[in-house]
Amino acid sequence: MFPNFRLSMTWLHTWFGLLLGFVLMVAFFFGSLSVFDREIDRWAIPATRIEARPMPSFDTTLAPIFRTITDPDPDELAAAKTRVSQPLPDKLAVMTWSAFTTHRDPVLRMFVEFKVPNSPLPDDHIHGSITIDPRDGKQLPENRLAIGSEFFYPMHFSLHLNWADIGYWIVGFAALAMLAALVSGVVMHRKIFREFFTFRPNKKIQRSTLDLHNLSGVVALPFHFLWALSGLIIFAGLYFPVLGTMMRPLAAAQEKLEATQTGLDLEPSGTPGTLASVDGMVAEAKAMWVERGVPGEVGFLIVHHVGSSNAYVSVYRDNTDRVGGGPGLHFQGSTGKLIHEDPPEGAVSTVNSFLIGMHLQRFKHWTLRWLIFAGGILSSVCIVTGLVFFVEKRKRQHSEQRRSGARWADALAVTTVTGMVVATLAILVANRLLPEELAQRDLWEKSTFWAAWALCLVHAIWRSSAVLKARTSPAWAEQCWAIVVLAIGAVLLNAVTTGDHLFKTLSEGYWPVAGTDLMMLACAALAAIAARRLQRRATAAARAVDQDSELREVRHA
Amino acid sequence: MASVSHPPWYVASRVLASTLGGYAFTWGFISLGAMLLFAAGMNLEEASSLSSMLGFLVLLWGFCWAFVAASLTRVWSVLAGGGVVMPAAGWGLSRALM
Repeated sequence: MFPNFRLSMTWLHTWFGLLLGFVLMVAFFFGSLSVFDREIDRWAIPATRIEARPMPSFDTTLAPIFRTITDPDPDELAAAKTRVSQPLPDKLAVMTWSAFTTHRDPVLRMFVEFKVPNSPLPDDHIHGSITIDPRDGKQLPENRLAIGSEFFYPMHFSLHLNWADIGYWIVGFAALAMLAALVSGVVMHRKIFREFFTFRPNKKIQRSTLDLHNLSGVVALPFHFLWALSGLIIFAGLYFPVLGTMMRPLAAAQEKLEATQTGLDLEPSGTPGTLASVDGMVAEAKAMWVERGVPGEVGFLIVHHVGSSNAYVSVYRDNTDRVGGGPGLHFQGSTGKLIHEDPPEGAVSTVNSFLIGMHLQRFKHWTLRWLIFAGGILSSVCIVTGLVFFVEKRKRQHSEQRRSGARWADALAVTTVTGMVVATLAILVANRLLPEELAQRDLWEKSTFWAAWALCLVHAIWRSSAVLKARTSPAWAEQCWAIVVLAIGAVLLNAVTTGDHLFKTLSEGYWPVAGTDLMMLACAALAAIAARRLQRRATAAARAVDQDSELREVRHA
Repeated sequence: MASVSHPPWYVASRVLASTLGGYAFTWGFISLGAMLLFAAGMNLEEASSLSSMLGFLVLLWGFCWAFVAASLTRVWSVLAGGGVVMPAAGWGLSRALM
């Protein structure tokens, strides 16, 4: 596009970085929080502040509960109604029952898949789910929002824009832009090794911002690249559904062939059948793992073709000691006999599940988990400093030319950086302030989040007129103070409403809540330092301008 | 950068080539790649998984190349051409391999 390679790459870096930097900020910030989603859940649902525990008995605890889940999620049902040719029956047929847990889950999520008949999509189904306390099998109240795993986590890959999966596509495009920004960033800066060691925090904002942008970009370059790439790979079937569309006939024929080889039927037989003791199958699976020198707990358990004579049960290990997945064991439902064991993964599947496993972190390794969190925060720093540098580089010129581009970029940067943190803390504060029994409490919490974020946008636009005069928008510092107030407020509210103050959680070593509180205090401290520095700088700049105009007046006189 | 200025349609054409052209090209790469690997004896699941993983790198290459290549005509002919020919070949192979 330009006569030289580096100029073209610079153009790409600047404009796609700006356009999608805002989305990337959301993906990487909420992605970082998702590394500790279960811990945030514990903070947000005090009734679940108990130790993690293994999968409870299927026969006595889970099976009776599965039978009570007769209705799919209302939103999914509404969406399904729009894609079928005939009206759906009142009760949909149950396809599968499954339960998933990790070494960090004191509660158990249970899922039921319902068949959607007369759908143009192959294997179309919708879900119903509940969360139970495995100690007594009691369902958690439905109005409790697991803020970590049900709000922050989906935000980082779908933006909660579910219509036509549009959010997934926007985030996917942003991930592509991230990869392109990394490639072009390396091309633009040839002195890449030196940038590793260069940070001049006391130079002009523009210079120090660029240093920090380069430093954070280079120091975690493999992380940035691999997480953006593995994020895309996780949703490969959504972005490039080659097998599900164009090659569906071949894929279906292969599935059929495989089913005859494994004995795991694709469709229910149509005749009703009974289910043998699943606990017995689990015991056999555990014995097999012990025999192979990899004793472990069950992470995922699924009953296929529920109620049918050819039902089968698949048992998967929780794999806390490895990054990727492991082979599943499949038992015949009616007899409880092992009918098939997945073969060891081939080279391609091993690479694939390693990349996905790193991104999802189901393993038990707290050092690695913190490193991945740090990587996500470094990515966020890299994106923020890129956005700030864009504004710093242009604001003087735009101000002289009376253009408003830098102003709008700055307002959006404020909203997606400090505004996003404000909204994040606002939902946690709302979580502690709203009455426990409030109907649709979860909806109120989410609405608080969006309202706080919208308010930050309005505030950022209002205050960004300073950028038109080539000054730093006071919105940055002001929203930093909002972060300080909200973060300290959330920690205090947690102490007051639940009694789990830091002295207690720290002395008991209950890290999910202690860690969340400590992170918020650290966030408050950082925001306070940032706000003070910004305001001191603004005062100094204002004084310089005053002296300047005084000098001019003196000269005029 | 400011020294070179292009008409808006030219920039738009580059952007469309990099996004839509790159997407079609990658779709072709993944479908044809999966079919070739499958024909060579790899199981279908692994074949599609490998071609998808490589496909995202192809997507990245196409996205960047659309901006750095000198000739816009060449960009369009490679990305859109490949985006038509490769999926068609992949589709044909998938039917032949049934």
